[in-house]
Amino acid sequence: MGTFSESVNVVRSAEGALVQLWWRGRLYDLAAEPLCWYERRPWWESETRMRPGEGVGYVDTQMWRVQVRQDGATELLTLDLVRYRPSDRWRVIKIHDALDEKFKELQEGA
Amino acid sequence: MRNFVHLHCASAFSAHYGVSWPDDLAQAAAADGANALAITDRDGLYGAVKHVKACRAAGIDPLVGVDLAVLEEGQNGLEVAGRVVILAHGGGFVAPGAGYGALCRLISAAHDQPRGLVGITLAQLAAAVLDPASGRAVLTVLLGPGSPVGRALNGRKYLLPRTKFLSWRNAMPVGSLVVEILSRLSAPGAPMSTSHAVRMLKLAQEFDVPAVLSNAVRYSCEDDAPTADVLDAARNISPLEKLNDLQPTGQAWLKNAAQMQSVAQEIVHQGGYGSAELRQLWSNTEQLADKCRLDPAADLGWKQPKTPESQVLGLTQPAGMELRQRTEAGLNQRFGGLPGKKLLEVRGRLETELATISGLGFDSYFLTVAEVSEMIKDMGVRRAARGSGASSLVNYLLGISAVDPIANDLLFERFLSLDRSTLPDIDLDVESAERHNVYRRIFERFGSKRVTLMSMQNSYRARGAVRDAGLALGMDKADIDQIAKQLWRFSAGSFREALEEKPELRDFAAQVENSRHAQGGAQLDLLVDLTERLDSLPRHISMHPCGVILGDSSLLNRTPVQPSGLGLPMSQFDKHDMDAMGMLKLDVLGVRMQSAMAYAVREIIRLHPSKEAVAAEGGHHPAAPFINEGGGIDLDAVPFDDEPTFELIRSTHTLGCFQIESPGQRELVGKMAPTEFSDLVIDISLFRPGPMKSNMVKPFLENRAGFTPAHYAHPDLIPALAETHGVTVFHEQVLRTFSVMTKCTLSRADEFRRGLGKPGVEPAIEKYFREHSTAHGYSTAVIDEVWETLKAFGSFGFCKAHGAAFAVPTYQSAWLKAHHPAEFLTGLWEHDPGMYPRRLLVAEARRLGIPILPLDINASGGQYSAERTASNVTGIRMSLAGVYGLSGTELKRILHGQPYDSLADLRDRAKLSRPALKRLAQLGALDSLHHQAQRLTGNTANRADLIAHVNSLPAGKGSKRNHPIAGQLHLPLEDVELGALPAVHPAASMAETVRTELDLLSMDVSDHLMGSYAPLLEHLGVSRADQLLGMRNNSEVLVAGVRVATQTPPMRGGKRVVFISIDDGTGCVDATFFSEAQEKSGPLLFGTRMLLIRGLTRRTGPRGITVQALEAWDLQNTPLLPAPPVLEGVPPTRYHQRGSQQPPYVA
Repeated sequence: MGTFSESVNVVRSAEGALVQLWWRGRLYDLAAEPLCWYERRPWWESETRMRPGEGVGYVDTQMWRVQVRQDGATELLTLDLVRYRPSDRWRVIKIHDALDEKFKELQEGA
Repeated sequence: MRNFVHLHCASAFSAHYGVSWPDDLAQAAAADGANALAITDRDGLYGAVKHVKACRAAGIDPLVGVDLAVLEEGQNGLEVAGRVVILAHGGGFVAPGAGYGALCRLISAAHDQPRGLVGITLAQLAAAVLDPASGRAVLTVLLGPGSPVGRALNGRKYLLPRTKFLSWRNAMPVGSLVVEILSRLSAPGAPMSTSHAVRMLKLAQEFDVPAVLSNAVRYSCEDDAPTADVLDAARNISPLEKLNDLQPTGQAWLKNAAQMQSVAQEIVHQGGYGSAELRQLWSNTEQLADKCRLDPAADLGWKQPKTPESQVLGLTQPAGMELRQRTEAGLNQRFGGLPGKKLLEVRGRLETELATISGLGFDSYFLTVAEVSEMIKDMGVRRAARGSGASSLVNYLLGISAVDPIANDLLFERFLSLDRSTLPDIDLDVESAERHNVYRRIFERFGSKRVTLMSMQNSYRARGAVRDAGLALGMDKADIDQIAKQLWRFSAGSFREALEEKPELRDFAAQVENSRHAQGGAQLDLLVDLTERLDSLPRHISMHPCGVILGDSSLLNRTPVQPSGLGLPMSQFDKHDMDAMGMLKLDVLGVRMQSAMAYAVREIIRLHPSKEAVAAEGGHHPAAPFINEGGGIDLDAVPFDDEPTFELIRSTHTLGCFQIESPGQRELVGKMAPTEFSDLVIDISLFRPGPMKSNMVKPFLENRAGFTPAHYAHPDLIPALAETHGVTVFHEQVLRTFSVMTKCTLSRADEFRRGLGKPGVEPAIEKYFREHSTAHGYSTAVIDEVWETLKAFGSFGFCKAHGAAFAVPTYQSAWLKAHHPAEFLTGLWEHDPGMYPRRLLVAEARRLGIPILPLDINASGGQYSAERTASNVTGIRMSLAGVYGLSGTELKRILHGQPYDSLADLRDRAKLSRPALKRLAQLGALDSLHHQAQRLTGNTANRADLIAHVNSLPAGKGSKRNHPIAGQLHLPLEDVELGALPAVHPAASMAETVRTELDLLSMDVSDHLMGSYAPLLEHLGVSRADQLLGMRNNSEVLVAGVRVATQTPPMRGGKRVVFISIDDGTGCVDATFFSEAQEKSGPLLFGTRMLLIRGLTRRTGPRGITVQALEAWDLQNTPLLPAPPVLEGVPPTRYHQRGSQQPPYVA
């Protein structure tokens, strides 16, 4: 996976749910319910300040795993996204080659 | 689905765990539209009462529970297997108070486990949830992901979680168990992830146990998540990078209903369930919340005082009747001789007090306090009532207080009234050394189900906060210590502000600045921010220094208790909780001065065991009524008009005297020159924030000295203010002023006084005051002037009753110092009551010509003692207990074996370790044995030779071969060993000896620590403390000495002034540092032990002089010291009287 990271724009529904992605100049539709979780961050290694009122996004990073389909295509693509808070910028950090079996299993419940 | 009630929520009172205050949590919940909120602090109800208050203020229902460890039998006995939450059911579902009472008892039981463990076993829990009266479950246990079951689920095992869950379901009574579903949205599969929550939900379905939703809240808002990390590091005493169980994510905030719903949807969806299950989860949570809503009055006994039952007090009639009979008897005894009209007034006062007391239902409280007071007296322990309790005639007549409220013109309304909304407390001072015994006796007398100690919360202040923040960041401990040392009495919350303002932090501020440009590693900015975040968070509870809670036999159903350091049970509630919980407390404060005085009196009688001897020694009349035939002095019977005592006070040589030994007080008594007891009452009351802030001291002193005529805003106020020459000093005068001008009752006036300085109520008081004073014909000018005085007075001034109660030990200690100085100093050394280190009293003893008798293996005991010397003066013998590193058992063996006739004898019988023996030799404690041997043999070896010899002895063998065989007589032979010491070493210099004494005794006994600096000081042209008084005002001087005290009292105008007292062997110099001098001195202000100070003399009274500092140096940093001539010949006007001229007070 390395340190791959690419900018991506997201399109949300009126209720705030992810529906589409603008990525590499193309529009993708979300093909399944996305999975969201948070990863720990060792903020004490990188941050230099923690002003009053700051702190959102220091302890954890918001991660998304989405299955998307390019408009009209049948092939599904699985991407891992990071959402930076509080700026709400998004980046793609991983492209899964094929449908991840583990992911499928998780979607069906533990 | 708007309303979501958080059932699991830790407040900041979960020490080193929770981040947010109950107020913030309750407000956040209410703002989200929740109608209730639970508090479930770890291990106790530490924040519960504050939570209930906060919920009432926010208009939501309080739920109360606890987050407790579950103990299971492991390989080494009980061990922690997880944590569960237990919530109390409210009076809407079970008998009122049954749930809360069971919760209190459960928590107390959790703190009563073997090996200091805190937690509960499943069996204990299953029993504790049942109400003994009804047999019904009155508590609900929440089994969450951190419970033993939840932890077992956090893996691939199938059977283990099910076996565990089954044992819980089978053990817990019906209706007392739910499963807590929570997801912190961590990575799939990790602990507290959604998949973990799904497994919990499935288990609940499988075993048909209701599941509820929670977020196990640790902070009220999202941006506080990093603070929780820092607390985790502090709790585990580990840097963050080495911490294994960091919170998995930063999602533990008080999420709103919408956010909780989305978490729930996520769980339900991932579990493959539908909206029916989601609704079920939501409604289960609502139902449990409803079951646990508490009614403060019905469930907690909110604001309903409980006092010991009359049968415990041994009463055969109602408490009110008993109180009347006893006070009547006291009145006849103490006031029987008064003329009819005056007596009638006193009777009237008694009636008023009794009516108030019985109106409030406090009769048995007063009888209880009287009982305790009598009990202490019977123990032979000195006691004195302090505080506003001295205002009460009832207290005086019951013998609780020794201050006559009629003679001293004290107002009962200041203490208690029907208008008053808070509970009274009566404070008793006892000898500090006897305090614990007094507590034990109170427990014995009333039974531990009616008595418990009060606790107090210890919170983060700047130093502790910077240490823990530095620990979390993994910074070097020595670096952090260096920073912590510079932090001086400001709250951690204003660290960054302080960096910019405080001269002593200048160096650190520069480091922070530099670290911004440095590459990696430097985290000082982050350190400052994190330190601010920790500000004032609770760290742990400890026994309050004086509070004892007294209740009836239901006390332990109203507060959980845990062991205190003393072993006696301690409530989890602190003083802020007392009023709300209707808990009556008695403050039994240990006062070292009372112990010191009791010790002095015992030393006097030991050296002078007869009335004549004591009278002759102390210069008392041979028939003095306060000395008994055996020489015992009854300090409380000493009349308050002793001239030598007032002479001593006026001389300002009051070091060691209660309340009047600080630099500022010495300055004040010098100016005020007290001549009678009431002057002391005024002096003590003046020396407080209120009078200082409102600039009362100067006009008072000027009016008193007759420089300016006393000024009264209106002649009607003369009766109230005449005793203080027109200046408002006492609370009582504020009450009278209100009452005179608005014609309100005194009790109403006391309510007004309490509102002064409170922004919320003061405007209403001003309005009332202005309207009613105008209505009674006072002019606007008069009203303006009086209101300004009242406003400035704030709520800070002093209660005269308190001043009068304090003045008694002040006078008594000064009396002892004036008449029996050696025994008094002995008492001070033994009990160390003052603000100064013991070593300063060495200088005081020297000044008084009292010989200090060195440590001696035969003459010294385990305590300091007064001793008659060969030249027939009384000296003070050093105590062996003060020797550094001498263990308690070694001390006991030495004392048991005394006297010793030779070094061998000492070694054989006291069996001292070699280091201990060496220390004794170094301190000269063996010199007497040595000299005795020398007299016989003419040996010329010195102490250095003796030390070398002791040091060369075989270590720790106890020299068995010299041991006398049992039954063999020990023959007093001459000390061959010491008689034959080779004289080879040069004698130690005085400076070395002093160094040794400071290291081992913390006192410089042989010579003053400054002695070795004499040549340097002479070279620089330094003046001595005893020379200053002879100097003109505003002379430029250099002074030098050892720091003995530092004070930074808040001052008029808000500018910080630093007072540093140094001691140079001839006395104490009090130096005042205003802003400019603080700037110039920088880090020296607080970090330096030996100081050289350049400044201007400032005469403060006929016998008082201080130094206004201009600049300071570290005396030990020789290269940086200035070269003579140091004095600059500053024009006196340039530095004249900048800033406030008020002396500091001790708050």
